[in-house]
Amino acid sequence: MKMAALCSEFGDLLQIKKQLISVISLCKERGLVHSVKWASELAFALDPLPKDELPPPPPFTEEDAQDLDALALAKSYFDLKEYDRAAYFLRGCRSHKAYFLYMYSRYLSGEKKKDDETVDSLGPLEKGQVRNEALRELRVELSKKHSAGELDGFTLYLYGVVLRKLDLLKEAVDVFVEATHALPLHWGAWLELCNLITNIEMLKSLSLPDCWIRDFFMAHMYTELQMIKEALQKYQSLIEAGFSKSTYIISQIAVAYHNIRDIDQALALFNELRDQDPYRIENMDTFSNLLYVKSMKPELSYLAHNLVEIDKYRVETCCVIGNYYSLRSQHEKAALYFQRALKLNPRCLGAWTLMGHEYMEMKNTSAAIQAYRHAVEVNKRDYRAWYGLGQTYEILKMPFYCLYYYRKAHQLRPNDSRMLVALGESYEKLSQHVEAKKCYWRAYSVGDVEKMALLKLAKLHEQLNESDDAAQCYIIYIQDIFSCGEQLEHAEVSTALRYLGQYYFKNKLYDEASLCAQRCCDYNDAREEGKALLRQISQVRDQAETPSAELFAPLSNNNTPVRRVSPLNLSSFTP
Amino acid sequence: MASVHESLYFNPMMTNGVVHANVFGIKDWVTPYKISVLALLYEMTTSKISLPERRRLNKLILPLQQGPDLTLGQFLKTVEDCCPQTAYAVKLRLHEMADGELKDMEFFFSTLPTPFTAFDSEAYKTSVVGLFMRHMLLAYNKLSFSQVYKLYKSLQQYYHSHYAKPTDRQVDVPVLAADDSDMDLTSTEDTVGDRTDKEELDTPLHESELRRGPLSQKQAEYFLARQAYLLKNDENKALKPAALQDELNNMLKFNPDFAEAHYLNYLNSMRVQDIFISTHSLLHYFDRLILSGSEGKSNGDEGYGRSLRYAALNLASLHCRFGHYQQADLALQEAIRIAQESNDHVCLQHCLSWLYTLEQMKGSDSSVLTEDSVKMAAHFCLPYLASLGIQSLVQQGAIQGKTAHELMDALKDTDILHWKHSLSELIEISLAQTTSIWRMYGKSTMALQQAQLLLNMSSLEPVNFGVQQNNTEAFAVALCHLAELHAEQGLYGAVAEILLHLKEQFPPHTQHAKLWMLCDLKIQFERHMNEGKYHLAEPQVTAIAALNKTEGLYRKAQVLKALNRSTEAYSILQRLQVHCEKTKCTEMIIRVMLSTAELHWESCGFSTALPFLLQALALARQHHLQALASETVLHLAFTQLMLGVPEQALTVLHEAMEPILAHGAVMDKGRALLLTARCQMACFCGSAAASYFSMLNCKERLRDVYYLQAQLYRSLRQTSQCNKCAMLFRLLDQELQSPAAPISMRL
Repeated sequence: MKMAALCSEFGDLLQIKKQLISVISLCKERGLVHSVKWASELAFALDPLPKDELPPPPPFTEEDAQDLDALALAKSYFDLKEYDRAAYFLRGCRSHKAYFLYMYSRYLSGEKKKDDETVDSLGPLEKGQVRNEALRELRVELSKKHSAGELDGFTLYLYGVVLRKLDLLKEAVDVFVEATHALPLHWGAWLELCNLITNIEMLKSLSLPDCWIRDFFMAHMYTELQMIKEALQKYQSLIEAGFSKSTYIISQIAVAYHNIRDIDQALALFNELRDQDPYRIENMDTFSNLLYVKSMKPELSYLAHNLVEIDKYRVETCCVIGNYYSLRSQHEKAALYFQRALKLNPRCLGAWTLMGHEYMEMKNTSAAIQAYRHAVEVNKRDYRAWYGLGQTYEILKMPFYCLYYYRKAHQLRPNDSRMLVALGESYEKLSQHVEAKKCYWRAYSVGDVEKMALLKLAKLHEQLNESDDAAQCYIIYIQDIFSCGEQLEHAEVSTALRYLGQYYFKNKLYDEASLCAQRCCDYNDAREEGKALLRQISQVRDQAETPSAELFAPLSNNNTPVRRVSPLNLSSFTP
Repeated sequence: MASVHESLYFNPMMTNGVVHANVFGIKDWVTPYKISVLALLYEMTTSKISLPERRRLNKLILPLQQGPDLTLGQFLKTVEDCCPQTAYAVKLRLHEMADGELKDMEFFFSTLPTPFTAFDSEAYKTSVVGLFMRHMLLAYNKLSFSQVYKLYKSLQQYYHSHYAKPTDRQVDVPVLAADDSDMDLTSTEDTVGDRTDKEELDTPLHESELRRGPLSQKQAEYFLARQAYLLKNDENKALKPAALQDELNNMLKFNPDFAEAHYLNYLNSMRVQDIFISTHSLLHYFDRLILSGSEGKSNGDEGYGRSLRYAALNLASLHCRFGHYQQADLALQEAIRIAQESNDHVCLQHCLSWLYTLEQMKGSDSSVLTEDSVKMAAHFCLPYLASLGIQSLVQQGAIQGKTAHELMDALKDTDILHWKHSLSELIEISLAQTTSIWRMYGKSTMALQQAQLLLNMSSLEPVNFGVQQNNTEAFAVALCHLAELHAEQGLYGAVAEILLHLKEQFPPHTQHAKLWMLCDLKIQFERHMNEGKYHLAEPQVTAIAALNKTEGLYRKAQVLKALNRSTEAYSILQRLQVHCEKTKCTEMIIRVMLSTAELHWESCGFSTALPFLLQALALARQHHLQALASETVLHLAFTQLMLGVPEQALTVLHEAMEPILAHGAVMDKGRALLLTARCQMACFCGSAAASYFSMLNCKERLRDVYYLQAQLYRSLRQTSQCNKCAMLFRLLDQELQSPAAPISMRL
């Protein structure tokens, strides 16, 4: 039902294309380059319009005509980043367009000066206090106009930005919502709104304009709020509605897959993206993360070299190179490149965390802690940095101390098995067995990625002489390993089989024991033990001299202990 | 009893109790406020000022140099209070700069006396003033062109913002300003108009910014050190928790690398018992400290590892303070393991003293651990930890009933140590502890004397931020004892005054407030009980129980007993006794036994009360608890009286009489005297007289004797005896037939 509604909504792709084209020219005149880029990318994905279908230029008023020359002059100064000069020539203009550019120039001038100021402020403690001095005045003027209802979509957007910069977030949200109502096609306003929404309840409480662009916004928002399933659904319906060629959507879907760690899907999409848009630099750091996880050295190397050719002074490029060096175990160089990325953009979260990882590899724990702390300071919700801090302290052999950090990470990603396993390990080191067991079991329940939780749980049970529980865990572990199909490097099936063999042997279930022992012989490290066990079994059988018929009889209740594990169905195994 | 745990918190900004504010190097720079201070200093060195005024100004210098930036109005007012003439000169100088041009400021800096040449002036390079001037000149010379311009701009703003706002102190400078600046009158008007416009919109924002400008590193350090000191020694004088939090947030916003602020944040959130923020800040601080440690201030890896150990140790102390003993134990073990691995005996020693503290808090016997700790501390020359351990041992010894002279000897020895190393806080604890011990032994005069000694001692801290007397736990304990001692003597006016003082010094939200709250409740309870207003005492019981469960239970039993609900009282007392025997709380055990005995009296089970009393007496004697022993003796004597052996009772009483009259509470004195009177009445030598008179057959006198005896026995409620005498009297009376002459009329 929903899909059908969406299709009808997007039915008029022609209309959408027209709207996009007109908004592109509007934004371009006002110097809103990012919105122009987004809209153009989307427009490019749609079929070109025939000549007579092109949208008419926006209406031209008397005021516009008056301001035409001043606007042209100011725009040229604006493009050359001479903001004060642009503002000066626009000061008397009456038209909406000129007014926006006037205010926007003043805002950008303040921002530029702020950035310059940070370099030579009067002292380190003052550094944080440097602010855009123009904001206050802009707010006063804009709020006057706002209450008089004289602001159009663009100026509302600017007013929202000013409010956000002044940390008046609640007011800013209201103004951005207003801006989206006034001019729904301006993507910048939506994006700003997206940054201000912190949870799903807040999102639901907003009344947003009913426009096709809203679906783009919702999909983006779901990705941000880590509601990946909903986001993917949204993007899928957008593709079906006719935006299948949009690189924007492809990249967003790829990032979404990356977030839920569906690596193969994400890789495929990124490859497609690079085919369509070979000079793209955005999102390539995410791509390199995926390549890193998959240890695809040649691909990563190719990507790195390619990006360097395009633009070597981009944050993304530096991150890709960092990942490349890291994969080649040249951690000093990797750290150097992450540092460079941070110089280009100190608020680049990923780079801080990645740098922490590199320092960890170099065993420079204090520098790692520093990097992770910075990451946490930039974004408190960065679970990787918290996890990294925990790991660092774990390496320093402080299991109790690292608990706090792991707990933080777990809080942020309650369904991530890695944190749970880490927590479990720490508890185990502190001899808090009950908590450790809980953690391992929970890690298995939420879907264990590394398939280590059960093994650890089984070993813990083994240590505590809870053989029934241990056997149970080993059985599930083996089933788990084989059901997932692929061979894992660190899989310890042999350990499990060895233990199970002994366990069945002790419980006089010789059939199962011999089966396990035979399986043991498939593994190098357990072969001898397997053979020894087989010998033992045959010895015992010889001594007992039980009639063979009884051996294959189905298990009866009389010789099974109360908590005995049901015999293992090994027929499904295909090692 | 004074607990000794408080001072165990490791504070990295202190060593041996001294705050080292400036351990982070010189980081200072010129601000408009600093220029005003420089102008003041300049005026002071150049112009003639009368001696008293100069003295007042000199006293101003340090606070002005170290404190946070003031607004011009505040600054001028402070100076004006000392010397109006200098204030005017400073104002004039600032006016010259602010209303002139950039070159005027440059000229000002060039005219400052250079500390290297001025040998005779106060501004010589090694003086406080000289050092400040050197810092400022250095900082000024380092400024780039745009920075100098920015400084000048902010100076202008600083100066004008003072006069833009209409203040009630309309001084002569506005007139002066109007003289010079008529040419840019329009522009100022513009800005003024703008400003009012702005203020309409966001006054709250504006105000908060005015209140706290950015602190320089040095000012921030001074601020942190001062607040940390005050938190430790006199919480009242420190900023309120919320205000301090605001300041710290502000500081951290401007400089997130200022790690020490996180530590103060931790201390501050401990004040309000916020475990989340305190844990967070503590860990954050140590994460930061690890970084600065690795920079190589304290030889590389050693410094880095050191902070790790102390991080774990501090985490343990945090959990300990919140009562998470298991967590604390785990953290402590971690600290111990790391310290052992790196052979850090000092840290291990800290860990050990925490270990025994933890054991004590858990309620198990830790004297062996403590003894070990003391020995080790002495071996590693750590006087602080050693005497802390001894104090802890003394406390345990007192509870376990060690002989008094041993305890006092130990305390005396530690006192010598304290004075030698001037460990002032331990001296305070020691005095408070002595007070407590004397009080426990029932020597109220000695306790009183020790408490007074502590209270009359002035602060011994080498650095004190205007704190005359420390507001530590020791003082709270001493004052509480004082209040209770006065209450015992029935001086309720004095008690009210002491409690009022306590309330002021330790407001209810502070951590030692529980001490006086309990003390206050106990006194009120006793008072109501003595006055027989049991219904008023009842609500106190719940309040006491909230602060101290055992005490609350005991008081509840007392109220129930007074209300004749004996069965309930009895069951509570039994539970209490079992509990106290488990926790080895001797004083309470004895009291419970006494109360149980009283319950037995009520059911006339005097003989069943005896074993309790004897046991209590033995316990009290064994632990040298004289006050309780005397009370037990009183109980014993009463029981004996009731059992009809007044002679025995009298001899027992004579033994207890002396200490009660010397040290006891008014209540005990009264009871003792009354009991003596009753016993003496009971032993009335009438029977002997009767035998003499019967020998002479002097029937008239014999009749009188019988009459008196009957009266006495009746008043003592010994009915059978009374009846017997009455009968004898009646027989004689019938025999004599003549009316009796009044007894009192003849010998």
